[in-house]
Amino acid sequence: MYQQIVDQITARVMAGDWAPGQALPSIRELAAGSGVSVITVKRAYEELERAGLIATRQGKGSFVADRPDQARQLLEAGLDRALDEVVTQAARLGLDRQQLHRRLDEHLDAAPSSNPSEGSQS
Amino acid sequence: MSFAPNLPLIRLLVVKDWQLFQKQLAAYVLAGIIALALLGLAKPWAFHLGATLLLVVLVAAACFAISTSLLVERKEQTLAFVMSLPVTPLDFTLAKLAGNLLTFGVPYLVLLGGTAMVILGTPIPDGFVVFAVLVFGHVLLAYGLSLAVAMRVESEGWNTFVMIASMVLVNPFIMVIGQIDAIAGPARTDAITWSAPALAILAAQILLFALAIAWTAWSLGRRPAFY
Amino acid sequence: MIPAFAVQSLSKRYPHFALEDVSLSLQPGTVMGLVGANGAGKTTLLRLLSGLAAPDAGTVEVLGHRLPEAQADARREVGLASEDMRLYRGRSLDWHIDLVRQIFPSWDDDYAATLVRRFDLKPQQTLGGYSHGQRVKALLLLCLARRPKLLLLDEPTTGLDPVARLEVLEALADVLRDERRSVLFSSHNTADVEQLADRIAFLHAGRLVADADKESFLDQWRRVLCLGAAPPTLAAWPEVAAVRSAGSQVEVRVRAWREDLSDRLAAAGLRVERVDPMSLEEIFVTAVRTGGAA
Repeated sequence: MYQQIVDQITARVMAGDWAPGQALPSIRELAAGSGVSVITVKRAYEELERAGLIATRQGKGSFVADRPDQARQLLEAGLDRALDEVVTQAARLGLDRQQLHRRLDEHLDAAPSSNPSEGSQS
Repeated sequence: MSFAPNLPLIRLLVVKDWQLFQKQLAAYVLAGIIALALLGLAKPWAFHLGATLLLVVLVAAACFAISTSLLVERKEQTLAFVMSLPVTPLDFTLAKLAGNLLTFGVPYLVLLGGTAMVILGTPIPDGFVVFAVLVFGHVLLAYGLSLAVAMRVESEGWNTFVMIASMVLVNPFIMVIGQIDAIAGPARTDAITWSAPALAILAAQILLFALAIAWTAWSLGRRPAFY
Repeated sequence: MIPAFAVQSLSKRYPHFALEDVSLSLQPGTVMGLVGANGAGKTTLLRLLSGLAAPDAGTVEVLGHRLPEAQADARREVGLASEDMRLYRGRSLDWHIDLVRQIFPSWDDDYAATLVRRFDLKPQQTLGGYSHGQRVKALLLLCLARRPKLLLLDEPTTGLDPVARLEVLEALADVLRDERRSVLFSSHNTADVEQLADRIAFLHAGRLVADADKESFLDQWRRVLCLGAAPPTLAAWPEVAAVRSAGSQVEVRVRAWREDLSDRLAAAGLRVERVDPMSLEEIFVTAVRTGGAA
């Protein structure tokens, strides 16, 4: 469940909703606002801090880190995980490298914004 | 455990029981007044009809008071709500007893006073007052015992049994005191005679009633918790 | 800091059920979800915590008050709502509000009005005309608007439609804004517990089998999908809760996951295909079926 919060915050930082240096809502505030437990939000903040996306200053709460490229890294880590999963699944189906490439191209063609170089906002 | 009752809270709970009983209370008093009016006609048929109606009203009021404040509260699980309030078992016991004595006591005393006035103010022999008071005494005792059982026993069957049995016993009771010359004799005259048997019966009724209530308050009020 | 509640070696015996040797406490500002099958002892524990029942052994302290001796003082600061609690059918919500606010000085009129709107309740209508969901919300309103320091809720979302359930969960989440207030709620709906609880207490057959912060509790459990033949001793491994084979696939439910388990499974002849976290629902069912060892 904390992964959802991590994803939400990452997405908002990537989208520029939350600028570098901006204060994040307090753990309690975010928990109450999104109807999840305090400990879940805490865990998400810890995860984000470890990833370098946010920084916590003693007594002042949490802020979006000054290096927003961290958000990108975090999303890339997510992509890597998804790709690993794809590779495992392909192996189970017995697809070879070329077949997998072809399947990926098919999906890219079917996606609404098919060119990944246009998709990135940074 | 503090044994100091929370009086403001008890008052609130008594008012609550009173409010829940209010409408029926008015109906019982009204029916009682009709019964008294019949008695007051001082004709044999009207007297019998009025006396019967009066007894029915008294018994119904007693059963209804116990049933609304205890049995229904248990059955409809509003009791759990009352116990979620800051009440101790002592507060709860006292509030229930006081609420009950009030909701039953008001129609009871109104009808007792009315009966006395009707007897004294009409051609009915004034001496009949003693006989009537003893009948009222029986209803009071039956009510006290039923209340004591209802406070303690959860079984609806037992409660209904005790209520009906004790109230129905008023019939044999009337027959028995009708056989006692010291009571039946003066009841046909205009002199109000408190004979020794009459006084003894009345004292026993009041004493037993008080004991039933006091024992209930003491034994249930000193429990450390509800369950 | 005084704990919201603390019970020590608590036992309560009834003719057909006993709660045995439960020690548990809750820090202020925390939400604890109490899970357990029917008859596990959730209601008994809540009765002991609200001072309605006296323990046969052990101690109960709620907000610093010793129970059941100081039950009235404790209940002044505790909001208690249980599934078997009903309001007076012949009376309106306004009548109930009037009764409750006279008893609790902490009653907050503005908050009550907000909740009446948010829960979409008609305050003048008699409760007899309310739906089940409306009655539950009315009861919760009477608890919440007195801003209790500790909320004890027995099955607050049972029988609610999805909209009413969301309204109730949102109102409970609101309580979290104040870090001095705490909540203990029991629920059959493990999704509610998973969403709202900071801590999980797990009762099974009258005993406390788990008490942990929710994230670490969920973190301990994994469903491991393997290929191969399960060795017969696998089910007896201490960290393994359940093993199920279907053809060459083996599903292992693990109650104390560690990274080295993958290697040990491989050494036992099982190729680990994937490792997934488990939902509280799955953990709950697994733990109950295997006799409650969580």
